[in-house]
Amino acid sequence: MKKLLAVLAVLALSISSLTGCGGSTKEESATPKETANAPAENNSADTKDAKSEEETASKETTLTYWYWADNSDYSNKMQEIVKEFNETNKSGITIKAEEQPWDGGAYSQNLFTAAMGGGGPDIATWKLTATPLFTANNLLAELDGYIEKWADKDDIDANLYNIMKQAGGSDKTYVMPWNTQVLYVYYRPSMFKEVGIEVPKTYEEFLTACEKLTRDTDGDGKIDVYGFGMRGAKGGQEPWGSFIHGRGGSFEDFTTDQAVKGMEDFMNLYKKGYVPPTAPADGFNEIIANFKSGRTAMTIHHTGSSAGMVETFGEDVAAFPFPKGDGQWTSMGDTENVIFEKCKDKEAAFEFVSYMAAGKGQQVWCETTGNVPVSKRVQAMPVFQDNKFMKASIEGVSYAGILPILDTTTEWVSTIWPNTISQALSGEITAKEAMETLQKELYK
Amino acid sequence: MRSRKINITPYFLVAPAFLIMLGVVFVPVAKAILMSFQNYDLRRPNSLKFIGIGNFIEIFHDPLFWDAFVRTLLWVGFGVGLQFLFGFILALILNQKFSGRGIVRAVSLIPWCTPGVLIGLMWRWIYDGNYGVLNDILIRLHIIDEKVPFLAQTNTAFPSVIATIVWQGIPFFALMILAGLQGVSQEMYEAADVDGASRFQKLFKITVPSIKNTIFITLLLRIIWVANSVDLIMNMTEGGPAYSTQTLSIYIFNKANVLNMGYAAAISLILTLMLSLAAVPYLRKRFKEEKV
Repeated sequence: MKKLLAVLAVLALSISSLTGCGGSTKEESATPKETANAPAENNSADTKDAKSEEETASKETTLTYWYWADNSDYSNKMQEIVKEFNETNKSGITIKAEEQPWDGGAYSQNLFTAAMGGGGPDIATWKLTATPLFTANNLLAELDGYIEKWADKDDIDANLYNIMKQAGGSDKTYVMPWNTQVLYVYYRPSMFKEVGIEVPKTYEEFLTACEKLTRDTDGDGKIDVYGFGMRGAKGGQEPWGSFIHGRGGSFEDFTTDQAVKGMEDFMNLYKKGYVPPTAPADGFNEIIANFKSGRTAMTIHHTGSSAGMVETFGEDVAAFPFPKGDGQWTSMGDTENVIFEKCKDKEAAFEFVSYMAAGKGQQVWCETTGNVPVSKRVQAMPVFQDNKFMKASIEGVSYAGILPILDTTTEWVSTIWPNTISQALSGEITAKEAMETLQKELYK
Repeated sequence: MRSRKINITPYFLVAPAFLIMLGVVFVPVAKAILMSFQNYDLRRPNSLKFIGIGNFIEIFHDPLFWDAFVRTLLWVGFGVGLQFLFGFILALILNQKFSGRGIVRAVSLIPWCTPGVLIGLMWRWIYDGNYGVLNDILIRLHIIDEKVPFLAQTNTAFPSVIATIVWQGIPFFALMILAGLQGVSQEMYEAADVDGASRFQKLFKITVPSIKNTIFITLLLRIIWVANSVDLIMNMTEGGPAYSTQTLSIYIFNKANVLNMGYAAAISLILTLMLSLAAVPYLRKRFKEEKV
């Protein structure tokens, strides 16, 4: 019994010492509050200054910002943008920018896991596809009130605000536009010249170009240049969508004859050997590496990779919008910013996301990445108007689109699409069976 | 009547460990079991509800589950079996006396010391169908004419990931078996030599019976670890192409990753039961030994 009492005494002491710590913290936090309130009754100029200084000091806010960057240059640039914002904003806002890997879309899942666990950032770089999941769990802050009051509101096309609203599945805005990436076709003019073809004007001509550009260039009987760099791994659904629409299909119903025909075209590129045999497992890194090494003559990506392409090839790389067949579509990659509901100073957070949408952050980021700006003022700058890759992007804007944003989209993109496509490419299932699976899994 | 005296000191000493176990093992396990009976899909938070054995019924009608189930048996069977075979051979070699034995022993441990994520990335590049060193070596040796996209074909991807886990696990078996071999009395071998026993007779009549406990526990541990491993396959193939490398642990990861937690928890429970079955012979043996 004595031992039991001793144990209880030790526990009681431990708990009381913990309580003691809590008590002293409370007292410390109360003291400056009282001091701050005291001069409010006094109207002298000195006191006003002191008050405003104290208000500024009390307004000082540190917010965490998660972003991803496609390469180390972008990573450095983001840190520079944030540093400049921290130094120039007059509201005492400090943004702590933390880079996270994109990891083929796992970024959004990691962000969700963190937010649901009560952690994660105050602000984050965003993809529209993630919106329904986060809004269903009440994780995002509604931005309509802040946008209404924002002086630069009209610098962004009203249509973009509408797309942001649609993504959330309601008439509320949870996502702040930042920049877009419209997919187009990269090609090597020297290779086109070698095989004597022009830039494809139609979808059929594009398919023919894939065939003609596939060659044995050193005469050893083996193919060493493939016409097209196909992305069969995660993320490949974006260029794939252009083939489906090229035959007049759509994402509303993958099982129509037109959509199935588009899928057959896609599969034939692999089966006939016009794409590298590694295509089912090729992701972003592989298609870019294959294009840069000269193993492929064309590939599909956005302006995010244009700086690297020019660095590798100089003038021997150009771009054209994905050509029109019975239909025409290209993927509009979107990147936005969101503010989380848990953020304690949403006004400060909005000041940062608006800096990224129409301020210096917009201009510097789009200049560095080559992404299409959302700010009309920035779009009009010569640096964007005179760029051939930007030109291909802007031409594609009129028919660019996104995958339907449903609660099944993330799984569909990360596991269903790549595995179903590789089943079709390996001949395990037919084009029609593949499209039926894709339809069933997206709209279940 | 004598009052019963309770000595609470042992309970007091065990309490911290017990509380930690409770927090990090028992509570999450209980939560996972509970989830497996719920429609716990965070993509549809409004439809979270208790569905009894609904997840298990769905699993038994899910062809991807059965594919992953069979693949897990092959993954463990070939993965652990070959690790044991080559690990045993390596241990027998390292148990011999030769110059530089210390260096060879240290170097042979490198695969085991390397993180699984790094191994996955490293072998992904070795197998690469465009620039991989394996294709280059095989072409130079005139074993193949064309480059093989090892990880992009359904018929080569799974053997490739199995080969990688075998490479990773050989040193563990070698290390454990080597430790066992060093405890075998030399006198038995000398006596066998006097009796004219052959090398194979000595191996199967002296060596193997002497280290059978080591073999048993090492096999058991590796079966559990390999069945649960995710890092290597995720980094090499993510379960593809065409689900050809999707084991149960990868399937669980993929389902949990898209936030279908109830379904993932139900498959986890099945995998746990499978692994418990593997542990039964070990536990029975231990209980028998304790009784003796």
